[in-house]
Amino acid sequence: MNKSHRGEAAIVGIGEVPSGVYPDRPCLQSALQSAHDAIEDSGLPYDEIDAVIPAGTFYDPWYNTNMIFSQLVEELGLTGKTKMNLQVVAGGASSAALMATAAGLIATGAARSVLCVHAEKWGSMPNQDMYDKLATFGISPEWEAPYGLNMNAVSALITQRYAFETGTTEEQLASVCVALRKWAELNPNAMYQKPLALEDVLRSKLVASPLHAFECNRLADGGSAFIVTSAERAKSLDTVPVYLLGSGSVVTHYAISQETNMSRFGYARAAEEAFGVAGLGPRDMDIAEIYDSYPVFNLIALEEMGFCKRGEAGQFVLDGHTWPGGSLPMTTNGGMLSQGHTGTGGGIAVLVEAARQLMGKAGKRQVEGARFCVETATGGTYMDAHVSVFGTEVP
Amino acid sequence: MSVYERPLPETTPWSAPFWAAAKEHRLVFQHCASCQANVLYPKLFCPNCHGSDLQWMDASGQGEVYTFSVIYQHPPSPFRDSLPYVVAVVQLDEGVQLMTNVVGCEPEDVKCGMKVVAEFDDVTDEFTLVKFRPA
Repeated sequence: MNKSHRGEAAIVGIGEVPSGVYPDRPCLQSALQSAHDAIEDSGLPYDEIDAVIPAGTFYDPWYNTNMIFSQLVEELGLTGKTKMNLQVVAGGASSAALMATAAGLIATGAARSVLCVHAEKWGSMPNQDMYDKLATFGISPEWEAPYGLNMNAVSALITQRYAFETGTTEEQLASVCVALRKWAELNPNAMYQKPLALEDVLRSKLVASPLHAFECNRLADGGSAFIVTSAERAKSLDTVPVYLLGSGSVVTHYAISQETNMSRFGYARAAEEAFGVAGLGPRDMDIAEIYDSYPVFNLIALEEMGFCKRGEAGQFVLDGHTWPGGSLPMTTNGGMLSQGHTGTGGGIAVLVEAARQLMGKAGKRQVEGARFCVETATGGTYMDAHVSVFGTEVP
Repeated sequence: MSVYERPLPETTPWSAPFWAAAKEHRLVFQHCASCQANVLYPKLFCPNCHGSDLQWMDASGQGEVYTFSVIYQHPPSPFRDSLPYVVAVVQLDEGVQLMTNVVGCEPEDVKCGMKVVAEFDDVTDEFTLVKFRPA
């Protein structure tokens, strides 16, 4: 991101429905409720929503083509108002892709305000169907599928290498799940809100070594949305604008077998760019909203972004520093490991949580006085690293 | 021989020589004559210099386990009868990496950095998969 666009775009409204298994709640309802709530939250008039961007949904191709073909525009009463409906999808990194697209549309004047929305229903799909589907996402049909790779295995490969290089222990890895659950206990939208002990994680079955069952996210139904507008327009709204102060990113691979730096990925470079544009550093951050999905990604991101030294993130988390009341609140919605993994929406929920915290709307889990937040995203087989810095002011 | 029900490679025109070699129990990779980069999986263009002067070379078949996982639960359907099995990324001595299975030892004995050697599994008349066993 170019420095000249620092603080130009702001999130001014958010919406979300609870994540979990809701077989009787149509996916369309999750999308509409989230979108409607986000627009209402912003206080923007409907006729200023010039662009609607539904992120990709995987459970049903027909539902997804409806998203591409403007169903939300019609159902939300935006026909004749909205100038463009377009799909943006980068898997788990769709949060960053949506934000970059929205900010770009606003910077060029192509849109005044943008609705970004996503809903998913794969928590209601039969388990084996999902195991099979997740053996195709980001996995090469020629070079990887013949060997029985799936998403759990992809993350297990990464976790194994990270632990091998850094000496991170099983307990330290499992402590990420415990830390995230502490936050989810305070999140009424989370799929899992009951306390989780370290022993529960370590005693759960090995799924793909070294990952235990509780270290693998659970797929969920859910939906979330956010509204982006210009900083200038945001100032006249009755809401706390959450300014995009800087962002950075890099794509490192498609096939996980091609990744030669599996314990680091591209977070250091992405963070350097994002913090550089923002003119801020890790020490200025009140919250780290890190894209989890599996515990190792929180640890890698904490180290590579400069919050912990290499190999020390595990102990940092085990010691409780990222818990509610800790020095660095992390992934405060509970992440995909506790709020539930809504596919493309898993990262969008993390982004929405970043905005929610900075707006001061996080209820029981509100981090008091939070002004600056770093947020990450990654998609596919952790093909990319995205880092964004948000703030309630443009310093 | 029973019917092989697991996924077979969906090949491309430019990867055909790799599979033809595998059938002859040879592991091959691409070498860029312009920039000297070694490339695997096979690409249409050199990912290093973006040229198209990629030539096939025989690999030594020696390498080490870069990382691995033993799959115990929730595999893709066609692999349910083969639990536990080991998926691994192997780094060849030539510097390139590939996804594979480690066979020929107890799954629990596989380690990062373990030396391995290529082994050829003729899964169908048409396809041979390259797997690895402890060296």
